[in-house]
Amino acid sequence: MRVTICIGSACHLKGSREIIQQMQELVKEHHVEDKVDLNGAFCSGNCVNGVCVTVDGTLHSLKPEDTREFFDKEILGRL
Amino acid sequence: MVTNDATILRIKHDVLYEVAKLAWEGKLEEMEDNIPYQMIPGPQAQFRCCIYKEREIIKQRVRLAEGKCPSGKDTRNVVHVISAACEECPIASYIVTDNCRKCMGKACQNSCNFGAITMGTDHAYIDPNKCKECGKCAQACPYNAIAHLERPCKKVCPVDAITYDEYGICEIDESKCIQCGACIHSCPFGAIGSKTFMVDIINLINAGKKVVAMVAPATEGQFGKDITMASWKTALKKIGFADMIEVALGGDMTAAAEAAEWAEAYKEGKKMTTSCCPAFVNMIKQHFPMLLDNMSTTVSPMVAVSRMLKEQDPETITVFIGPCIAKKSETLDLNIEGNADYAMTFGEIRAMMRAKDVELEPEENSLQEGSVFGKRFGNAGGVTKAVVQCFKEMNEDIEPKVMECNGAAECKKALLLMKVGKLPADFVEGMVCMGGCVGGPSKHKTEMEAKKDRDFLIGQADGREVHQNVKEMGVQDVAMHRH
Repeated sequence: MRVTICIGSACHLKGSREIIQQMQELVKEHHVEDKVDLNGAFCSGNCVNGVCVTVDGTLHSLKPEDTREFFDKEILGRL
Repeated sequence: MVTNDATILRIKHDVLYEVAKLAWEGKLEEMEDNIPYQMIPGPQAQFRCCIYKEREIIKQRVRLAEGKCPSGKDTRNVVHVISAACEECPIASYIVTDNCRKCMGKACQNSCNFGAITMGTDHAYIDPNKCKECGKCAQACPYNAIAHLERPCKKVCPVDAITYDEYGICEIDESKCIQCGACIHSCPFGAIGSKTFMVDIINLINAGKKVVAMVAPATEGQFGKDITMASWKTALKKIGFADMIEVALGGDMTAAAEAAEWAEAYKEGKKMTTSCCPAFVNMIKQHFPMLLDNMSTTVSPMVAVSRMLKEQDPETITVFIGPCIAKKSETLDLNIEGNADYAMTFGEIRAMMRAKDVELEPEENSLQEGSVFGKRFGNAGGVTKAVVQCFKEMNEDIEPKVMECNGAAECKKALLLMKVGKLPADFVEGMVCMGGCVGGPSKHKTEMEAKKDRDFLIGQADGREVHQNVKEMGVQDVAMHRH
């Protein structure tokens, strides 16, 4: 599964690095290194409330504090 | 530097400069639409058919400088075609020139296995529908009358990733592209470029974030013998970077970790490849995935230094600066913990500096963070030399056979041999650019032009050993593997 997280400055200031770090830890914790591919992306201009996270082509807007819930639902839930 | 793209380089640099200037002033969003009009005031077109096309090209270049896809279509590649700038070069690749004397021998016609050559009124004619582009006619002609016309971009692409759409405009097959950037400077129309993180970096500096620059080992000598690592540090601090560190230190860290890894593999009889050249890593991932298990798991010098900086302060934003395009794709690999946040080229950082009226100024060569071996990571064969030095320091009695691949063609050949189990060496050092990183697509001077100054500057470094440097810099505990 391809997960893309925006690393542009707007998303950086909204906590994209925090989300990335949490995702890296969650991937390790659930031993899904072979199934989940974490990628960075240049800003696609969709700057809204949260950080732009794309899971298999679907764009989501995510806040750092919601990462765990999001990971369970949108990533683990779809594997 | 003698190059076919001095004019293009100036235009590209001017676009970067204008974008950087507005970004520093915080006026980019409001003013970006003015850049094409400012740069192409008209009414006469200078290079293309009309000013409207010239302005469209500038507009697409601005998008690329902002890290967006030039055409508006969003894709993951770092390297992009500026579609408005592509001149749709002819694709038919063998043509008969006026050198043809319509001779009696007709070696061309006799050599063609496909019956593609007929005799026209003035000279021989190749039927493009029958020609299979084997090139035999060109070799056979005693007058060198048959020319091989190939798109310059397609010619330099080592992985055959360049195709074209129904209108003849260049397209990049992103499943094949390894982001090496070779096509970028091959195009005499400047129709290929790479996305930049320049605006993001400027915004984060403007927002008061702690942004630290990591300068590539290939840097020394690129800007003359007076421009030292100290010069870089001063200039980078002037434009708002919190600090600068030499990635040559990461070279030492990588060499030490790789030596330990190789020593183990050598005893097991396992063949391995290096993993510090990002285009080489992309080549393995995309074209030789069956060899992934043979790729060293040691992180690149860039990642090593980034991890070190983030260990010291997790809030640090790390930015790699060098001659490399593929490094930008390496920063996008978020499976690597502690990876560098951004990577940029010499051209981009210089535009950022110029937009703040800062230049690289001569300074005493007093700053040294890497050993000579770490500094030579940027030269083809440099990684091998550093690893061999580490074996010596470790008292390992190993004399491994290393295939030092200089350039993409040699890399491909070694990987092919490895794939079929016929590699005549124990290890492969892969450097996709000719000469190593010093020959990178975004170099300022060619390897030969910079060599004397590079040798001079590195010659002034002290003779510290690799392990000694890693220890004295206090970085021996940084995690050095990918996962």
